[in-house]
Amino acid sequence: MYRYDEFDERFVRERVAQFRGQVERRIDGSLSEDEFKPLRLKNGLYLQLHAYMLRIAVPYGTLNSRQLRQLAHIAETYDKGYGHFTTRQNLQFNWPKLKDVPDILGLLADVEMHCIQTSGNCIRNVTSDQFAGVAADEVEDPRPTAELIRQWSSLHPEFVWLPRKFKIAVTGASHDRAAIKVHDIGLKLKRDAAGAVGYEVIVGGGLGRTPMIGKVIREFLPKDELLAYLEAVMRVYNSEGRRDNKFKARVKILVHETGEEEFRARVEEEYARLDGPTINAPDEEVRRIAAYFAPPAYATLPETSAVLDAARAADPALDRFVAQNGFAHKQPGYIALTIALKEIGAVPGDMSAAQMRAFADLAETYSFDEFRVTHSQNLVLPHVRKDDVPAVFAALKAAGLASANAGLITDIIACPGLDYCALATAKSIPIAQAIAKTFADEKRQAAIGELPIKISGCINACGHHHVGAIGILGLEKGGRENYQITVGGDASEHAALGERLGPGIDAEDVPAAIEAIVETYLAEREGGESFIETVRRAGIEPFKAGFASFLDDRAPASEAAE
Amino acid sequence: MAKDHRAGSKVRGDKLPAILMASHLIEGDTVFLGKAGWTRDPSAARIAHDAETAAAMEAEGKAAAAANAVIDPYLVPVDLSEAGLPIARHFRDAMRQKGPSVHPDMGKQAEFAPLE
Repeated sequence: MYRYDEFDERFVRERVAQFRGQVERRIDGSLSEDEFKPLRLKNGLYLQLHAYMLRIAVPYGTLNSRQLRQLAHIAETYDKGYGHFTTRQNLQFNWPKLKDVPDILGLLADVEMHCIQTSGNCIRNVTSDQFAGVAADEVEDPRPTAELIRQWSSLHPEFVWLPRKFKIAVTGASHDRAAIKVHDIGLKLKRDAAGAVGYEVIVGGGLGRTPMIGKVIREFLPKDELLAYLEAVMRVYNSEGRRDNKFKARVKILVHETGEEEFRARVEEEYARLDGPTINAPDEEVRRIAAYFAPPAYATLPETSAVLDAARAADPALDRFVAQNGFAHKQPGYIALTIALKEIGAVPGDMSAAQMRAFADLAETYSFDEFRVTHSQNLVLPHVRKDDVPAVFAALKAAGLASANAGLITDIIACPGLDYCALATAKSIPIAQAIAKTFADEKRQAAIGELPIKISGCINACGHHHVGAIGILGLEKGGRENYQITVGGDASEHAALGERLGPGIDAEDVPAAIEAIVETYLAEREGGESFIETVRRAGIEPFKAGFASFLDDRAPASEAAE
Repeated sequence: MAKDHRAGSKVRGDKLPAILMASHLIEGDTVFLGKAGWTRDPSAARIAHDAETAAAMEAEGKAAAAANAVIDPYLVPVDLSEAGLPIARHFRDAMRQKGPSVHPDMGKQAEFAPLE
């Protein structure tokens, strides 16, 4: 993985020192809250319902064991013994004190981490495929591209105060696990007819209050032209994006209001004016970055492992875990394992300091000292020898990390919601917990199959509800929490926005409503269709009808209760 | 600059009685205007039963924010329990009085007697 050079090191240390001075001036009263807020947000520090919250950047979701041990140390020393992995592959601490934050940033800098680009109207932390460098369907590892964009964007003087925040995602695979069509810019590495590597450039996707699927504005951009082209897109957005209304300030609104053709023309016009060679990274720098992401020193192994096969035959729990959480590795004899931070009844994405340490040991011993964070709030051990899987599984079980539900109905994305967040309009985590408990039975989960449920506690959609096969949005209605349910959302290469099934319902009715939706799916399913495939084929109407019946059946009981 | 905070909650009808809630500058913790200064204990919050007292408390909150002791003070409509303790009428404010519902071991609920 990438290692800081002297410039990175100096830059991060200078930012820590700068923020230490800003915090001192805030505490001694030299800075008012209005003056300090933009400064703290530039360093990932929010103020939430119960405490400050510090959001730590995990560039493209890649971490090593030393970094995770440091996060465990910070969790125990300055927080309440746990951290929370987010839908942007980052990590949040929910209880830091303002006076401690400079020391925390210093500890992060010690392990090449920081909180820059996790807040504010800048180009945010770049996200990527959690199976980067692993997936067989990959044209090229997307992480060198993500790192290049990080270096280009971190201190770019033009793009520090954009009309609004700006999120870029990169994938190198044909199956999109990075949700590139619902980012401000999505990049997909591809080959042209001649076999040259470049990018498909998608602009103007996003979720939030106005969800949009991004538009392809360049079918093929030669790889070495990336930064100049991104600069052209950013210039058009920076100069023409709205600053008068924050709800209309994202680039998706600009693309929508300008029109895809016209927006493309303006970008191309800007691009023609730019002096590309002075902007694009020199070959040697691109090669230097790429070298950090060279494949690890894999052993030459047979594709199958007799050790693992025998262990799976003897242990049904291990067999289920590998079948559900294993991901095919392009290197023979290796496998990637998803560690679902989704034990039944747990808070999605939460990890205790003890679990962090146990997991750091596993990454160090069994996965070339590397692991990944996924946008589904899970972790991945990317390079595990198949022979080692039984030992890894045993250690995961001991740490409470062996949940065999990756991608199933209990592997739910949930934003922090009203339990923590100052912007939330309803709780999110307890809804996820209640649904997980309802569907806890492993056989039932397996029978239902892949079904991503995504929950947001407000319209800002941190829980990606628009692109959940089942999406749940918590709002306030008449002084109560109320939940709208959508079906048919998809964050993959088949990106689609979910459609509402009907009126919002109370929190206590959500698990039964999900059961009704699942029953509709099981009745409509043909062959081996997944939930989303059934929705795509059968349409939304059967689900609306099933939901309406659920509401009718529920009404007499509710009235009796009143 | 992106907004990361929303002070106040929408409560219909009468806004009294009320308490004054804010965030502590250094700790970030939720604090309440008490009988003498700010308190972290939700049961020790001063209660305004009339508009004049509420206005005076709000002014006290603004002065404390200007003096950099607290952030985002706002009046919170409450109901009174049988014991006379203030229970926020809006579920968002009630969450701030208690702490996260998913972590009963954290926040006010872990440190102070429940508001009953």
